[in-house]
Amino acid sequence: MPRWRWWLIGMLVLAVAIAAGYFPVLKRNLRLSAQAPAKSEEQVRRELTQPAAANAGEPVGKAKLFWSSGARDGSLMAVTVDLPLPRDPVLRAKQVLNTLLAGPVDAELRTLPPDAVLLAFYLLPDGTGVADFSEALATATPSGIESEEMAVDSITKTLEANVPQIRWLKILVHGQEVDTLAGHLDLTRTFLVNARAAAVPVRPAAADNSAKAAPSGATGSAPAKPVAAGTKKSAPAQKLTPANPPGKLAPTERKP
Amino acid sequence: MLDPGHGGTDPGARGTGGIRESEVVMDFAAQTKTALESLGFQVLLTRQGNENPSFDDRSAIANAQRGAVFVTQHVASTGLPGTVRVYVMSDLPGSSDTTGLIPWERAQAPFLPLSRRFGDLVQSFLSQRFKGSPRTAQVAAVRQLRTTAAPAIAVEVSSVAVDDRGQLDRMAPGVADAIARGASAFRPSYVVATNPGERP
Repeated sequence: MPRWRWWLIGMLVLAVAIAAGYFPVLKRNLRLSAQAPAKSEEQVRRELTQPAAANAGEPVGKAKLFWSSGARDGSLMAVTVDLPLPRDPVLRAKQVLNTLLAGPVDAELRTLPPDAVLLAFYLLPDGTGVADFSEALATATPSGIESEEMAVDSITKTLEANVPQIRWLKILVHGQEVDTLAGHLDLTRTFLVNARAAAVPVRPAAADNSAKAAPSGATGSAPAKPVAAGTKKSAPAQKLTPANPPGKLAPTERKP
Repeated sequence: MLDPGHGGTDPGARGTGGIRESEVVMDFAAQTKTALESLGFQVLLTRQGNENPSFDDRSAIANAQRGAVFVTQHVASTGLPGTVRVYVMSDLPGSSDTTGLIPWERAQAPFLPLSRRFGDLVQSFLSQRFKGSPRTAQVAAVRQLRTTAAPAIAVEVSSVAVDDRGQLDRMAPGVADAIARGASAFRPSYVVATNPGERP
């Protein structure tokens, strides 16, 4: 037999011996990975959308989020979750709203469409929070008074529970005021969040540079040019009430 | 005044079984009209077929009537199938207008107490007929109600998610009867203003 064949056979025997030695290790690794709890699609998505990374270093606190109770009667249920909760009310509002949008682990209990995104959040000096959502909020919320009311309620209750500085909420869709959420609920108005909220000065850092448009008539900060509360000279001070909401921006025609 | 919601290019809520809210509410409105007329009411509809008047157009028809009550009818996407909920407008700021005219954008404001009473009456009749329905009217910022200068309620049936359209059709007589009985019970407490558009 030629010498090279002996070498070949020797190499093969060595490879088999190494594989035999590694086999138990491989088997143990497989067993361990099978025992680890599999992450659901919802959990993975929540981890991806979780803005925690942006708030690294913020103290973790208990946030109360409101999702559907599952009773199919329009009621909501408070769920307490650990979240990094910034002291700044705008960052805090964004944090809780992004987590609310990410939804509960049980997707059946979500109140807002999974594709909806919070584009920007402003806090006006009088305590009016302006939440600007992507189009999906209007196009993917199930049509109906109950479902639309539940969507808005989950937002206002979550803000009330976690951001005590917010008194009113104005909802915009892609920077615009819209007539209704999904054909029924009036979005031309502001919603009461917390009647006892104390107005706080808005700091320039609270401005959101990702915003598409600022509500007109706002005396607070605008996305492109952050201005501290009360320092914007071009816009006269305007009292914002439910009757006089911030932002009357080219309402889109929406039929019932 | 009966308002079958949606219509035209807007089908409203849609079920996976092909149920369209805009079609279902037309049938509900037709049966409600019959029930109300049998109790002596004169009934107008905001749409006769598959049209889609705007919110303001629908309110304009109601606001031109004297002594009208307004019922907008809807079918939900969600909720416990077989239940019916009545909604009245949530609080609206009153008008500080010194002319005495009612601002269009908040036309419902002076009628809120009457709407609540009307809504509670209709809901109480509905809850007797449809188990699982609330006993009193709910409050929500329903766009259609805001510009209506009359006692106004929204009646929403659950839901387009049912497998069979027949399940909704079988609810129509009960809903119609409850609205008619509610309107009848409400009539004595509704003191109509002397002139159209006047505050109640």
